[in-house]
Amino acid sequence: MNTVIAFKDVKKAYGDKVVLEHFNLSVEQGEFVTIIGSSGCGKTTILKMINGLIKPTGGSILLHGQNIEEKDMIQLRRNIGYAIQGSVLFPHMTVEQNISYVPNLLNKRDKQRTRNAVSKWMKIVGLDEELKERYPSELSGGQQQRVGIARSLAASPDLLLMDEPFGAVDEITRGQLQVELKQIYEKTGITVLFVTHDISEALKLGTKVLVMDHGVIQQYAPPDVLLHAPATEFVRRLVEKERRVCRLPEEKLLDCAYSGASSAIE
Amino acid sequence: MLQEMWSMLTQRTGFFLNLAWEHLEISLLAILIAIVVGGLVGILISEYQKSSKPALGVINFLYTIPSISMLGFLIPFSGIGNATAVIALTVYALLPMVRNTHTGITNIDPALLEAAKGMGSTRLQILFKIKLPLAMPVVMSGIRNMVTMTIALTGIASFIGAGGLGVAIYRGITTNNAAMTMLGSLLIAALALIMDVILGFIEKRMKKRSAKSKRTNRILAVAAVVLCAGVVGGGILASQKKDTIHIATKPMTEQYVLGEMLDILIEQDTELDVQLTQGVGGGTSNIQPAMEKGEFDLYPEYTGTGWNMVLKREGLYTENLFDEMQAAYQDELQLQWIGMYGFNNTYGLAVRREIAEQYGLKTYSDLKAAAGQLTFGAEYDFFEREDGYDALCETYGLRFKNTVDLDIGLKYQAINQGKIDVMVIFTTDGQLSVSDVVVLEDDQSFYPSYLCGNVIRTEVLERHPELESVFEKLTGILSDDAMAQINYEVETEGKEPRAVAEAFLQNAGLLQ
Repeated sequence: MNTVIAFKDVKKAYGDKVVLEHFNLSVEQGEFVTIIGSSGCGKTTILKMINGLIKPTGGSILLHGQNIEEKDMIQLRRNIGYAIQGSVLFPHMTVEQNISYVPNLLNKRDKQRTRNAVSKWMKIVGLDEELKERYPSELSGGQQQRVGIARSLAASPDLLLMDEPFGAVDEITRGQLQVELKQIYEKTGITVLFVTHDISEALKLGTKVLVMDHGVIQQYAPPDVLLHAPATEFVRRLVEKERRVCRLPEEKLLDCAYSGASSAIE
Repeated sequence: MLQEMWSMLTQRTGFFLNLAWEHLEISLLAILIAIVVGGLVGILISEYQKSSKPALGVINFLYTIPSISMLGFLIPFSGIGNATAVIALTVYALLPMVRNTHTGITNIDPALLEAAKGMGSTRLQILFKIKLPLAMPVVMSGIRNMVTMTIALTGIASFIGAGGLGVAIYRGITTNNAAMTMLGSLLIAALALIMDVILGFIEKRMKKRSAKSKRTNRILAVAAVVLCAGVVGGGILASQKKDTIHIATKPMTEQYVLGEMLDILIEQDTELDVQLTQGVGGGTSNIQPAMEKGEFDLYPEYTGTGWNMVLKREGLYTENLFDEMQAAYQDELQLQWIGMYGFNNTYGLAVRREIAEQYGLKTYSDLKAAAGQLTFGAEYDFFEREDGYDALCETYGLRFKNTVDLDIGLKYQAINQGKIDVMVIFTTDGQLSVSDVVVLEDDQSFYPSYLCGNVIRTEVLERHPELESVFEKLTGILSDDAMAQINYEVETEGKEPRAVAEAFLQNAGLLQ
């Protein structure tokens, strides 16, 4: 397998306050890594160090085997999709302009290609074509998130960084967005790093889950391993509830002692 | 008053349109410079936050300098006229521009900027694609304030010889023409309002975001830029005509008329164009440096003033010092006196005619015997000044029965009503020509002589010898009485200086 990102003994400190220390992690190509942990544990820092918004205090970060410090930061960022909490769309640009922001930075000339990319991604994230001319303030919260995802993917990056992208939407919309994101991931085979504070989201979306506490990796494993074999007390408490959630199909729900269906029969 | 203003506007539409146009040119130029420079500074100090505090401090400081002193301060550097006005106006326009650009940019949600950065925008791309468009509403409101303020402030630019509607205001004040002052002010207000409405329209258009209105906006923007460039460019082109004689006058009624006479005769008798800058604030102290720099070529001056203020010689000036003064002007300043009009605008003593006849008064010395029965009136400061009441009494040995402090506007009324018998006057006071008084002769030369003539740059006279015949025509054509009569027609009868000048030259047979 191909390693896309590798953190080698990375340290990050703000003044005296050390956020990360001796941090080592490698992410394989095509992996969907969800990162979860208590707030202030450094999960956003990890993400922002990959696209150079935050510089590590020590250690090195390799992207496709090459230290990112040796790369042209602007080019690097343009080839990494970036979606942020609350989507943060540019309020003075239409949906179309927002989605084509990165493609426009990359290739100003080829307008037709950009237009095609916009149409393609709007369809994929489930946005109606006629919303193109709308401004962010004229969209619902869910639509805004979709535009945010489309914008991060429009330049067809092979790596996508998502920082709690669904943090500000209601439960129902979030469920839909999760399903759609999973589908996009499966269709494109893109590598995704996804920060969340919701353990069920982390387990549902990730092919691997990275659990962090106070800047230290608690466990880095596929979801089922997390559920069956929590490595630390912190992970055990984190997945406690999720272990009791049944993901069995409707007709077998009764087999599960913890499901709402069985308690209804009693 | 309203009616007076309306008839003035309809009769002299060209004059006021011209002033309004000039006003617009000066203020638009300052506004454009301020938008570009202020915008750039605003952007720079938001990009380099450390510099923002000192930069804003300096601009704040400049803003607090009173406009009059700013203009005076700039004169030694940029001279008299439009350039100084534009510089001063630009300085004042900078503050709102810089501050609003800075505020607009620094108040953008940092998450947006980080998102733009994280997506791979360069610093310039962030500036042009994100920061500037988002800061625009704040910048726009700054521009709106600044434009209104600049147009209003341009009104004082005429104080230093710049054009614009301020000329009407200042001329109205110096020639006692309230309607003209009011009209000038109202037109400035109207200009400011019109510009504000236009900017409001632009602001509204900018908020419309549909593709179609954006296209229209682009067309409108191009049209506006072309129009502004036309106005400013036209102004610059128009000011570059060759072989122009620049004439300045002091802010006094008689000088306005003299300026018009020079204008009329030079344009009639020579091929030269005349640019007349009427009523330069500060008079000699601002015109003289501009003459030495060559910004003005010619202006009417008084001999006593030339001796004391320009040459800075001590002592009392009398006309037998004229040759010495002429030589000093030529050697030290490359200027010379030419075309002495004949009248003397000095201090004088006037006595009510019946009193003069009763006591047989002709000279100051004649007063000595009669002073004991007479009441003396003058402005407040005359009793305080060194060359005032006490010095006068000492020189001529006078002792008046009584003295009265009077406002300058009321003294002619007072003497006509018999409240005072003797008073201090200027020998060309307009009121003098309609008052029943006798002006006494200063037989011991207590007051300096202030004969009026023209001061011209020697270089200009050598280059254009044809001007000499014009000055020959003007030599000796105005007596004290004639000048007083002209002042009266302008100040009290409300006639236009140019009309009065024309009528006088016509009578003198100097018009073709």
